[in-house]
Amino acid sequence: MKIDKDYAIELYGISKKYTIHHEKPTLVEKFFKGRDEKFLALNNINLKINRGESVGIIGDNGSGKTTLLKIIAGITAPSSGIIKAGGRVVSIIDLNAGFHDDLSGFQNIYLNGMFLGMTKKEIDRKLRDIIIFAGIRQFIDAPLFTYSQGMKLRLGFSVAIHSNPDILLLDENFSVGDEKFKKKCRDIIKKFRKQKMTLLIASHWKQFIDQNCERIITLKNGKIIKDIHPGLKTKS
Amino acid sequence: MTRIETQQFFELLWGMTERELRARYKYTVFGFLWIVLNPAFQMLIIGFIFRFFMKEPVQNYYYFLFIGLLIWNFFSLSLSKATPSIVFERTLIKKAKFSRSIIPLAIVFSNFVHLMVAMVLLTVPVLFLNTMTITSIFYILIAFVLLLVFTSGISLLCAALDVRFRDVNFFVQAFIIFWFYATPIIYPLSIVPYQYYWLWRFNPMTEMLQFLQHGFLGMPLPGTAMIIINTMLIITVAAAGIWVFGKESKNFDDWV
Repeated sequence: MKIDKDYAIELYGISKKYTIHHEKPTLVEKFFKGRDEKFLALNNINLKINRGESVGIIGDNGSGKTTLLKIIAGITAPSSGIIKAGGRVVSIIDLNAGFHDDLSGFQNIYLNGMFLGMTKKEIDRKLRDIIIFAGIRQFIDAPLFTYSQGMKLRLGFSVAIHSNPDILLLDENFSVGDEKFKKKCRDIIKKFRKQKMTLLIASHWKQFIDQNCERIITLKNGKIIKDIHPGLKTKS
Repeated sequence: MTRIETQQFFELLWGMTERELRARYKYTVFGFLWIVLNPAFQMLIIGFIFRFFMKEPVQNYYYFLFIGLLIWNFFSLSLSKATPSIVFERTLIKKAKFSRSIIPLAIVFSNFVHLMVAMVLLTVPVLFLNTMTITSIFYILIAFVLLLVFTSGISLLCAALDVRFRDVNFFVQAFIIFWFYATPIIYPLSIVPYQYYWLWRFNPMTEMLQFLQHGFLGMPLPGTAMIIINTMLIITVAAAGIWVFGKESKNFDDWV
């Protein structure tokens, strides 16, 4: 598919329908209940995001923020519509995923990096930076079950940001760990913005969005109800 | 797929296979020895009991049994672990875009590595029986290709279906027990009365076991009808597995 040079992400008429299952889906239920209940999480979304733009997505719980990110990331397919996303898309939705407790931190970095689309060679090059950023140098050979929850999250975040994405998607609780690490996360996002990486941030954290996003999209019941370009409110 | 995507696919597949291999026998005293110990125990028990029921004794019965049990353990372990694998790895599904087939395939391949190790160990005593010839290698290789294709295909199929219908997992568990007795593992196909022969032609596991029993122990080769029907079934199941998995995998995230 040919991709327009100016746009990082293009969405045309994207809708996502979910089937509501009240209990575990079973064959019996399928045959006896007949038609399933449907829920429209995204309703005909049209959106173009420029290369290098940082976009905040706000909206109440259940307004479709995460679904939108998942579709852009390619984690789930839309029920209808066309999506074009250029380059490597990395999403920070679940940082804990892809780790195996019995393997060492070292082995987990490789596994996690490969899930994000890195090759082994790329990880070889970034390994040092990943370990230093996560701040787990002396534990790198220990199995992951000896790590604290915070260490795991830091490692997950570190792998994700070192995967050299063209488009970075951040969902809700992207800044993790203690205050010191949170500040590191904020700094790195500011750095990415300066490097003109395309950023999509879904959050309730109004202040952070105002400071980091030049465009703010408001979702409600699966529709875009507001799309503004307020510019950046920070002095920098 | 582009070249770089293909490279990533195999790197990740190998990474996950390695993960399965490393994680399985960690913190066990016997480690990899369990690959052989497990079927060896089964062999001794079944071999001892079953000899009372066998009218005509099979030559090298313990070897015969051991080959069948190794193959069956590979198949049943792969299938029963791969079927719920997508559901178990739900956090991975929600994390990133990658070829979902890697999850069940890594389980199959890690078990296959185990099988190969066990097979090499088995070959050593078998060589002393003087039942193997140069052509044995050919039949053994065919059997492994068929086994790998069939196991991968049915694992993909069941893993994909299990995401929507969790009953599939229970069905597979129940069916595997039945399937064990429907496969010539503890008995040779030659004890089956000829009028029931056709039933075994619909069990894709029969042909490959016969190839192996021929290759290692010089027992009779499968008949032409057996080879044709079995191979067609294997190809059909594998194609169905790839097709269904490809179609369903786009929406796994909605169901787990």
